[in-house]
Amino acid sequence: MTMELSAGAAKRRGAGGWRWAGRIFLVLLLGFTVMPMIWMFITSLKTGFAAMQYPPQWWPAEPTLENYWRLIDPSGTVGRDFIQYFWNSIWVSTLTTILAVVVAVPAAYAFSRFRFPGRNFLFFAVLLRNMFPAVVFLVPLFILMKALGLVNTHGSLILTYLTFGLPLAIWLLKGFYDNIPVQLEQAARIDGATRFQAFLLIVMPLSTPGIIATSIYSFIGAWNEYIYAYTFLTRHDQMTLPVGIQRFFSENATDWPGLMAATFMMSIPVVVLFLVLQRYFVRALTEGAVKH
Amino acid sequence: MAQVILKDVVKNYGDVYAVNHVSLTVEDGEFVALVGPSGCGKTTTLNLVAGLIPMSGGTISIGDRDVSDLDPKDRDIAMVFQNYALYPQKSVYKNLAFPLQMRKLPKDEIDKRVQAAAKTLDIVHLLERKPRELSGGQQQRVALGRALVREPRAFLMDEPLSNLDAKLRVQMRSEIKRFHQDLNATIIYVTHDQLEAVTMADKMAVMNGGFLQQYDSPANVFANPVNMFVASFVGSPAMSLIPLTASSKDGRVVLQSPEGWELPLSDANGRKALSAKSSKVVLGGRHSTIKVHKAQVPGSVPGKVYTVEPTGDITFAQVFVSGAVVNVSVAPSFQLRPDEPVFIEFDQDRLHLFDGETEMALKLE
Repeated sequence: MTMELSAGAAKRRGAGGWRWAGRIFLVLLLGFTVMPMIWMFITSLKTGFAAMQYPPQWWPAEPTLENYWRLIDPSGTVGRDFIQYFWNSIWVSTLTTILAVVVAVPAAYAFSRFRFPGRNFLFFAVLLRNMFPAVVFLVPLFILMKALGLVNTHGSLILTYLTFGLPLAIWLLKGFYDNIPVQLEQAARIDGATRFQAFLLIVMPLSTPGIIATSIYSFIGAWNEYIYAYTFLTRHDQMTLPVGIQRFFSENATDWPGLMAATFMMSIPVVVLFLVLQRYFVRALTEGAVKH
Repeated sequence: MAQVILKDVVKNYGDVYAVNHVSLTVEDGEFVALVGPSGCGKTTTLNLVAGLIPMSGGTISIGDRDVSDLDPKDRDIAMVFQNYALYPQKSVYKNLAFPLQMRKLPKDEIDKRVQAAAKTLDIVHLLERKPRELSGGQQQRVALGRALVREPRAFLMDEPLSNLDAKLRVQMRSEIKRFHQDLNATIIYVTHDQLEAVTMADKMAVMNGGFLQQYDSPANVFANPVNMFVASFVGSPAMSLIPLTASSKDGRVVLQSPEGWELPLSDANGRKALSAKSSKVVLGGRHSTIKVHKAQVPGSVPGKVYTVEPTGDITFAQVFVSGAVVNVSVAPSFQLRPDEPVFIEFDQDRLHLFDGETEMALKLE
């Protein structure tokens, strides 16, 4: 342990030049990622006129929260629609996440712990779905949804998102279960637990970080999805946020500050979710890397 | 505590037999070590007794119950794992309490037993800690404690000391031995370390390739190995084995080497050698029964020193004899140099003879 550490330290010292190159690269990358977000926020504080000015104002001369008020004011049509889209998105993403976890937890556990005929093939089949670009399935799924009478319902989206989310969730969670020593369950079973109790009392609590990480992935995936929502939903009251905020574009003009305010609001749940759960998330990402 | 009986136990994965028709009886209160090289089937055997994997054939009974088809939880056994398998999210107290909670004991009874076990193992001050905050030796004690709180019918231990450093291992070895004596516990103990088995166990079951090779007291296994595998596995340094040819000459039986030297055998050993299926006989000797001479004496055979390893109070050396390596030991004052020609003499009363074809020990009927 200490030897590994000191060897690592020596390596880091030796590569001082690379270290700085790495830092500069990271700063550039950070700027590349963060600048659009900052610009989004600044624009959302501008009036429609200020947003179009050239040269642009880096900081609006008269910042206003007007655009936000409009979005959350249920007495206006913009506010009413926005709140509706927001709830639609929350509903679809949450339900997708819950279903994904409920199905993925036992599936991943089975893939990790049991040897059954066709196990490897099935696991590959599960992942196969994610090797195709989403667009490939757009038309077939639309036809299927139509046949099922699910077009213009949230059910169509939830089912579709599950086909993407579940394989990923199963794959991620299997990694977590693989890392939980099987002896813990064996010990629990000898200590008097049934197989299910051993799973529930010992394995489940240990895989909480994994379940949380999987939930975040699943939620973000559903929250940001655009193309299926755009295809499957035409009714305004059903739309999710990514599709709904298109109403800020029109043929003649684009309400940039309104759009940016809506986009900013849209990113809040994901950011909050991430901040609250990041403790688990970071732990989860490193969990699989280290052999205990 | 109870007796554990394995009858004709089989575990196979297709054509691969991990455990091949193993039968053995562990008496009530006995400490039995399952030993063998890795992959010999010892851990699989233990897991079969625990019920963690299903048997392919045979029966196992613990006490007077046939437990062959019972879940681990219903077998009333406790197990100590190689990696301890402590529940990482639970405190030491809760780790110890878990088996009792699973058996729905009342809270005050649980507390009483946990405290008692903790006291026995001297871990009372660790009860509130999490397993990751403990040293290897402390984790080992907690693992023992979790097995001990329940007063099971038998203890199963799977290489419990192999993750400890050498010093701690010796210390825990005597503690487990003490634990066995104090509780009069039935213990089945898996180890690849024959020294652990010899020092701790009442009986050792030597396994290889899924087969039970020999099941006897360590002293008997050491003195009368049934075959060449057991002979070379038990004892440190290992018993030396030299393949030779037996023949009769002038009314005596001699062992001949390909180089041409001959070793005359005593009458008893001669009869043993002739009982082999063919003339191929393997001569075995432990270092403590072999003498080393600088000049030829009657009954000695020539060899050449390969390595010399002084350990302080005894010097070990390896000598090439007829292409085989022979482990010998001499007093530190006896100077040996690599490549020096020497003559080694086997004690006729304590040498071993094996059938060169079946590898079984040759015995007088």
